Amino acid sequence: MRTHALAAIGVFLALGATMAQAADNNAALDLIRKECSTCHGPRGISVAPTFPNLAGQQAGYLEVQLRAFRDHSRADPHAQAFMWGMAAQLTDAIIKDMATYFAAQPPAPGTSAGSAEVAAGKKIYTDGIPGQSIAACQSCHGPNAAGNGPFPRLAGQHRRYLEKQLEVFASNLRANELMHATAQTLTALQISQLAAFLSAQ
Amino acid sequence: MQRVTLAVALTAILAALTPSTAHATPSFARQTGVSCQGCHTVFPELTPFGRKFKLNAYVFTNVKQLEPINEQGQRTLALSDLPPLSLQLQASNTTLNRSLPDNGVPKDLSQKNSTEFPQALSLFYTGKIADQLGAFLQLTWEPSGDSIGIDNSDLRFANHASFDSIGLSDFIYGLTLNNNPTSQDVWNSTPAWGYPFILTNAGVPPVAQALLDGQLAQVSAGLGAYVYLFDHLYVEVSGYRSAQTSFTNATTGGPGPLDSTAPGARISSAAAPYWRLAWEQVWGDHSLEVGTYGIWAPTHPPGIGEKGPTNTFTDAALDAQYQYITDDHIFSLTGTWIHEDRKFDNVTLATHRHNTLDTERLTASYFFRRWIGGSVQGFSTTGSRDQVMYATGTPILGSGRGRPDTQGAVVELDFLPWLNTKLGVQYTIYSKFNGGTRNYDGFGRSASDNNTVFVYVWTAF
Repeated sequence: MRTHALAAIGVFLALGATMAQAADNNAALDLIRKECSTCHGPRGISVAPTFPNLAGQQAGYLEVQLRAFRDHSRADPHAQAFMWGMAAQLTDAIIKDMATYFAAQPPAPGTSAGSAEVAAGKKIYTDGIPGQSIAACQSCHGPNAAGNGPFPRLAGQHRRYLEKQLEVFASNLRANELMHATAQTLTALQISQLAAFLSAQ
Repeated sequence: MQRVTLAVALTAILAALTPSTAHATPSFARQTGVSCQGCHTVFPELTPFGRKFKLNAYVFTNVKQLEPINEQGQRTLALSDLPPLSLQLQASNTTLNRSLPDNGVPKDLSQKNSTEFPQALSLFYTGKIADQLGAFLQLTWEPSGDSIGIDNSDLRFANHASFDSIGLSDFIYGLTLNNNPTSQDVWNSTPAWGYPFILTNAGVPPVAQALLDGQLAQVSAGLGAYVYLFDHLYVEVSGYRSAQTSFTNATTGGPGPLDSTAPGARISSAAAPYWRLAWEQVWGDHSLEVGTYGIWAPTHPPGIGEKGPTNTFTDAALDAQYQYITDDHIFSLTGTWIHEDRKFDNVTLATHRHNTLDTERLTASYFFRRWIGGSVQGFSTTGSRDQVMYATGTPILGSGRGRPDTQGAVVELDFLPWLNTKLGVQYTIYSKFNGGTRNYDGFGRSASDNNTVFVYVWTAF
């Protein structure tokens, strides 16, 4: 009888310990489930275009961005309003786990857009605009816009999010020398065409 | 005699003044590090993210935590470094279309204007208490009643679970302990957090109000369980009882049981069941909610003990909310319809054993860059005629015809110089009041006499 009780207590404690352990290992997943998913969707595909899709995003890019939110070096208005708070207490290890999780999710399928604007956007993306000294986007973001390391995936991203980012790069609210130089020479129409093409991929 | 009647009327008006409700809290912003706009379109209306934050028991935090562990490595506490306190101030000026009678002699000395500084001052503790436990607690001081008391309060536990084997992916489940049915709700189409978000307390309140439409606010205690499934479906079941309201047990001197001799006390013999079912669909910048809520409440009228006959209120309501939210433009549309069925076994309070009351509200609001905007609401309460219940014989507050019907509109313009400060002008127009347009009370007052211009400052910090 007594051994039974001891065994039961032992099992109970072991279970407790396992649960505590499991909780620690899943700190990133727990946060994704309870917090990130609220805006970005449980698998990194968001509903509202205010919030970017994260599924299939480059892990390197996500890590850089989360650290930039944490140290406030990414300071566009939405970053300040939402992500500064969200990232404030993230450790490097959690950031790494989060980036790994979202990078591993299947990316969002593209959404349809007008064929003329898609074609125009594709031309800018593939060839750049020599007359405006704009280099081909694909040279950094890849031929399929899947991104590469610190260069983000753009394919399948929300159209309005892409437009917004080009606007805040242009106004330097989101500080990035390379993108500032590119975005400030783009016209509103060109931004719209690029975003149409990329969101349709 | 007439003077006595007027004095009674004035006392009744004072007693009937509805407490102003209040909401958004800077403590949440401090705790989460997320700006007001994360959770609110324009406070106190919630965004989809704000709804999740509430469903998750207000626990999400980005403040350094005090988190001691025991020898088993388990966390025994999770307290924020700083308590999530904030203050809210509401100051206002109310202008009635026609002044209320004065208590003194001559009776025409009264003024139409009431300035209140503050109308209400609130202290909030809103935020995380422990890992899955959070609170929205509000204490409010209202100088008009010279009273400090508990306002809408919600103590909440929430967690996540999933049963993948039966196709149930991650969902939220929780418990809420609160003091106002629908205050736990996350949509702004239900009464507790519905429009108008702030009301004058110097206007004339209509004679009829559904039980769920604020009559149980702060005088009841409810415990409920809820789930939010598939990221779409909210299901809640709660039980409400009247909360002890500061009466002393005459024998022991300790806190008494619910005292049925207390004026206005409503005692549910058992817990009155409250239900809530809602479906939310979010697409792009749009969200739509459609739902139902209600309560079945056997109550005891004042002066009737637990063994006496009950008067049973059954409120069944439908509601819907649509929101379009972008940085530049915010548009919302909320509506609710409450059908109340009143069955009076205790007939001293009503002529008819059976009465009905229907309340409808439809509100549209628009804001530009969370900076300037406004709202328009149409409201209507109609119901069966009952001499005892509505023809109270009181000037201004009663209905000469014994009818509860009150209809009209609210038009409001708002300006928010900062996200936590609102300046508003609200105009309430009555086309019908307590069953009549002219001489509705039998003492010569018209519905339009109760039209109100309410100018206010509302800030929380």
